Amino acid sequence: MIPLTRPAGPVPSPFNADQQARFDAGFAKAIAKYPADKKRAALLAVLHLAQEQLGWLPEAAMAYVGFLLDVPAVRVREVATFYTMYRLKPVGCHHLEICNSVSCWSKGSEALLKHAKEKLGVHAGEVTPDGKFSFGEVACLAGCGYAPSMVVNNYAYAEDMTPEKFDALIEKLKNEPGQNIADFPKNHDTGRAHG
Amino acid sequence: MANLPTPPMPLPQTSPVKILTRDWHLPECWTLENYLKGGGYQALPKALKMAPQAIVDEVVKGNLRGRGGAGFPTGMKWNFVRKETSFPKYLVVNADEGEPGTFKDRAILEWAPHMFVEGLIIGCFAIDCHVTYVYCRGEFRDGPVARLQTAIDEAYAKGWLGKNILGSGFDLEMHVVRGAGAYICGEETALLESLEGKKGYPRLKPPFPANAGGGLFKQPTAVNNVETLANMPAIIEKGGDWFSSVGCPKNGGTRLFAVSGHSKKTGVFEAPMGTTFTALLNDYCGGMRDGSTLKAIIPGGSSSAIMTAEEAEWMSDFDTLKTKKTMAGSGAVVFLDQSVNMAHALANVTRFYATESCGQCTPCREGTAWLSRLLDKLCRGEGEKKDVDNIHQIARQMEQKTICALADGAAMPVKSYIEKFRGDFDALVKG
Ligand SMILES: Cc1cc2nc3c(=O)[nH]c(=O)nc-3n(C[C@H](O)[C@H](O)[C@H](O)COP(=O)(O)O)c2cc1C
Ligand code: SF4
Ligand code: FES
Repeated sequence: MIPLTRPAGPVPSPFNADQQARFDAGFAKAIAKYPADKKRAALLAVLHLAQEQLGWLPEAAMAYVGFLLDVPAVRVREVATFYTMYRLKPVGCHHLEICNSVSCWSKGSEALLKHAKEKLGVHAGEVTPDGKFSFGEVACLAGCGYAPSMVVNNYAYAEDMTPEKFDALIEKLKNEPGQNIADFPKNHDTGRAHG
Repeated sequence: MANLPTPPMPLPQTSPVKILTRDWHLPECWTLENYLKGGGYQALPKALKMAPQAIVDEVVKGNLRGRGGAGFPTGMKWNFVRKETSFPKYLVVNADEGEPGTFKDRAILEWAPHMFVEGLIIGCFAIDCHVTYVYCRGEFRDGPVARLQTAIDEAYAKGWLGKNILGSGFDLEMHVVRGAGAYICGEETALLESLEGKKGYPRLKPPFPANAGGGLFKQPTAVNNVETLANMPAIIEKGGDWFSSVGCPKNGGTRLFAVSGHSKKTGVFEAPMGTTFTALLNDYCGGMRDGSTLKAIIPGGSSSAIMTAEEAEWMSDFDTLKTKKTMAGSGAVVFLDQSVNMAHALANVTRFYATESCGQCTPCREGTAWLSRLLDKLCRGEGEKKDVDNIHQIARQMEQKTICALADGAAMPVKSYIEKFRGDFDALVKG
């Protein structure tokens, strides 16, 4: 059950010391953008920040963010589930998202999705057994002229993709650290497909 | 890994007038140095000496139409905000760029961030706004947003942002915030909700964002697209009459056409408002890719009604396309060739709207889902003739009944694809 009310007391932080330092610096910047009495407006930014530390948004992180911004847990959950960039369950160290909207589709994104599935040996939304990779289908990324287009770990664009370039990307990423995926208990099923 | 795609420079430019792409042929065209060399930040001191109303009057004269999708006259929108007596007022920039086919705001932020920043400062001065927010789509963090933030930091350092800008007494703070993956947050009231830290549910209007009670934190707010604002320096420097003369009647200036699909060249091309699709394809994009013939054109993002190859002679301005029952929308043009079955294309487009509907309104939530299921069924070869008629009928019933325009944007393609390419649909019907 998601509590509807604000927590009675302080909520413990889910971060280690390094993560906390980065989070705190980002938090101060995020709330400074808004009028002093409107700090809850920074909720999206602060969720991004928490996810950047942990690789996904475990329940503990959402609770902590809600506590800091004085937003009831249910509102935090509402936002975290509404936007597709937030991950409510762990993804791979490298999470690849392939656009399948109309321009990319017209340039072969479905074949690329099929290729990704074969290459990685998992379905969309699943993580490879070594934890390194996961992939999914997403909507238009504003890379339509360089189709098919994809992003790695939400932010790094890879464009004009072909199966060969995809394979080369996987080889390259294998040796790169990627995002640390924090080991928290998985959330209950949120009823929403991710990936 | 490298985050910034290499701009396709030098760009093929046959536009007689370059406004937004003026510097794009330069390597590192995004730097302050290059922007200044091209004449950057000369409009700002001029604007700050003008009366704010005089700036808006130039914009009205220039026939600047919003480049986000609706083509609303920018000067008129700013006059609505100016008339309000409640303060503070906000100018919020829509850099959410989510409409399939659209990637031109990203190009501005990456390759001409200072032109946009200068335009935004002038816009804020014109409507008496002292805190502005640029709402960018979340994925832009390391590319476009990084470039934009650098430009903003440089502008602060030069005294073009902050307190008492260039000694004019005008103060302005500029903040960049990011969304988190939701197409609907491009709709202006959903964007405002998101900016307030909430899920992106469009608001029931009135009150409109420009009016007290309807904008950011309930204050009068102008929401404008990135490209709309990037035109401001040129309008101030050369005047509204000049700007208006560049385009076609009631549609001033040039437009960044984001071209994708099966043309030989794809990318962002600057051409005068109204440029025909034939000219865009042949003169800017080098025609269709080898061995391919034009079959259909998406003229303004995936929400716009489809055009046939024969209709390529149409002008691309807001008013012409409206009379042709489609729309200029976001300027995203997709040229599709004979390899495409239009029923499959429509199934793809409709799946997008079904996924992105926020779910508040029943006709939209149920309609898009139902359409998507029926189209997928048809594409699997399991459809019947009556399904095609049903799909058309459902789309008609979704129109003009909902809180925001997403439902209309989902219905418009459905009707037009079926009406103009019925054969592709019937060919998939079983038996
Ligand atoms: C579903 C939907 C999505 C939209 N997405 C965008 C978008 O991504 N970017 C944008 O600038 N405008 C978008 N718009 C249009 C905005 O609501 C608004 O009209 C525009 O930002 C106003 O700016 P302008 O007058 O400068 O064009 C969208 C509208 C709808 C209905
Ligand atoms: S029309 Fe669709 S997207 Fe717009 S508010 Fe209604 S349900 Fe949401
Ligand atoms: S359609 Fe794929 S990035 Fe736009």
